[in-house]
Amino acid sequence: MIQFLSEGFIQRALLTGSLLGATCAVLGVFVVLKRMAFIGVGISHAALGGVALGLVLGFPPLAAAGVFSVLVAWVIGWITRKGEVSEDTAIGIFFPTAMALGVALISISPTYRQGLMGYLFGDILSVGRGDLWGLVLLTGTSLGVLTLLFKEFLFLGVDEEGAKAAGLPAAFLNYLLLSILAVTIVAAMKLVGIVLVSAFLVIPAATGQALASSVRAMVVLSVISALASVGAGLWLSWLWSLPSGASVVLFAAVLFFASYLFSTIRSRH
Amino acid sequence: MELRDVWFSYGRRTALEGVSLEVPAGSFAALIGPNGAGKSTLLRLLLGILKPNKGTVSLFDQPPGKHGEPIGYVPQGIRLPKGFPLSVEDVVLMGRYGTLGPIKRPSREDRVRVNQSLDQVRMAHLARRRFEDLSGGQQQRVLIARALVSDPCLLILDEPTSGLDPAARARFYGQVCDLQRAKGLTLFCASHDVEDVAQHAQQLILLDQTVRASGPPQEVLRSQAVREVYHFPPPHDHQEADPHLETAPPPEADKGGTAP
Repeated sequence: MIQFLSEGFIQRALLTGSLLGATCAVLGVFVVLKRMAFIGVGISHAALGGVALGLVLGFPPLAAAGVFSVLVAWVIGWITRKGEVSEDTAIGIFFPTAMALGVALISISPTYRQGLMGYLFGDILSVGRGDLWGLVLLTGTSLGVLTLLFKEFLFLGVDEEGAKAAGLPAAFLNYLLLSILAVTIVAAMKLVGIVLVSAFLVIPAATGQALASSVRAMVVLSVISALASVGAGLWLSWLWSLPSGASVVLFAAVLFFASYLFSTIRSRH
Repeated sequence: MELRDVWFSYGRRTALEGVSLEVPAGSFAALIGPNGAGKSTLLRLLLGILKPNKGTVSLFDQPPGKHGEPIGYVPQGIRLPKGFPLSVEDVVLMGRYGTLGPIKRPSREDRVRVNQSLDQVRMAHLARRRFEDLSGGQQQRVLIARALVSDPCLLILDEPTSGLDPAARARFYGQVCDLQRAKGLTLFCASHDVEDVAQHAQQLILLDQTVRASGPPQEVLRSQAVREVYHFPPPHDHQEADPHLETAPPPEADKGGTAP
C-alpha cells in the first residue's frame, strides 16, 4: 500500500480521480433527479466525434471534445425545449451521428486509432502535470457552480414549471446544467473513458440515494461512494494490472449492490 | 387579474382565441372546460411562463413577472424518481427560493416560515417525512404550503385535485376556501371537478379556446354553453338553460389537441 501511494503517477491519478469522482457524484444527484442518464450516454459518445475532430484538425482532443459536447448538449436541449421532438429521440439522433462522425474521421489514419483506446476506456494513470491543472480547473469550476446553485438546480429538477413560476431562469439553468454535464463528461473521459463515464455519473448517486434519508445525505454519501471507488479501484488496478477505468466502475457497482441490499433489508425491518 | 383579447398558438395550433376575463381581488374564480380547452395555457400565461401572441395579461395592473408580488402556484403534482429522499420540508422550502435569490442559503426565518405554512395546511407533523411517502391528498396540501410560504396574495392552482377521491377533493377545496377567507387570498383554479369548484367558487369561467360563459356558478352551469361544450347536461342540473346569462358563441377554429 505504501509503495502504491508513493508513486508519483498514482498520486496524480488519485488527486484527479477524487476531483472527477466528487464532481460526477454531485452532478449525478441531478442526473438521477432529472432522469438524465440517457443524455449522459449521448453526450459521452458524442464526445468521440469531438476527439476525432480535434485529432484530424490538429486541436487538443480534449478541448475539441469539450466544445463539441457542449454544442451537442445545447442542441439536444434546444430541440427538446421546442417540444417538436422528444428528448429521447433527439439524443437517439445526435448520439449515433456524432459517434459515426468520430469513427469515420478516425478511420482516415491508423495513428489516430492508437490514441483512441485511451479515450474509449480511460487511462487515468497516464495523467501528466499539465493535464492535472487543466482537470483541476474544469472540475473545480463545475463543482463550484453546482454548489452555489444547488438549491436552484434542485427546484428545477423537482418541478420546472414551479421554478419558472417562482421567477427562476429555468431555460438558463437547464443550459448551464447541460454545459456542466458535457464538460464533466469530457473531463471524466480521462478517468473511466467514453464507454464507462455515464455509469460513473449514475452509480455513485444511486448508491447515495439507496442509503440516504435526505438530499444532503444523498450528496455526501454519493461523494464518499465515488471517492471510495476511485481509491479502491485504482489500488485494485495497480495490484492486479487491471484497466483503471473498468476497476473504478466495477468497484462503484459493488458498492451500489451492497447499499441496495442493505437498504432492502433495512426497509423490511 | 385581467386578460384582454388574449390570443395564443402553439405553432399552427390555436390554443386561445380572444380571451378576456377579469377576476376581482380577494375572490375565488374557477376555470372549467374540457380537455384541450386551453386551461393550462391560460395559467401559463398568467404565470409568465408563456407570452401571448396578441392581447394583454395583467396581474396587479402589471404584466406577469413585472409586478414584484409573489404568486403562489400549485401544480397538478410533482413526480420524483422512486426513492429520491426529498422531504416535505425541502419541498415547501422551494417556495422561498424565488425571493431568496441565487447563492444565498435558506435562513432560520425561512425555516420558521416553512413550519408556519405546513401548520396552516395541518401537515407540520409530517415535515421530516419523505414527500413520496405521502398520499395524493397530503402531497397536494404540501404543495399548497409551498405556494403559501412566500406569502402571496394570488394563488394559482392547476387541476390540484386530479387523482383524488371525492371525499379528499371535498376536504381539499374546503381547506383552500378556509385559507382564502383567513388570508384574503385571490384564488384562480383550473379544474375538471365542476361540481366541487361550483360549490366553493364565487365566479365560474367556462373556457373552450375562448370564454364561453362567465358568472356565478349556478348561472354558468345552467347556461346553454355548458351543454354545448360538454355535449351533455352537467350533473345535478336538470333545469332549463338560463336565457338571461350572457354567453359567447363557440370558436370557429379547429380545436384538436390545442393545449398540452
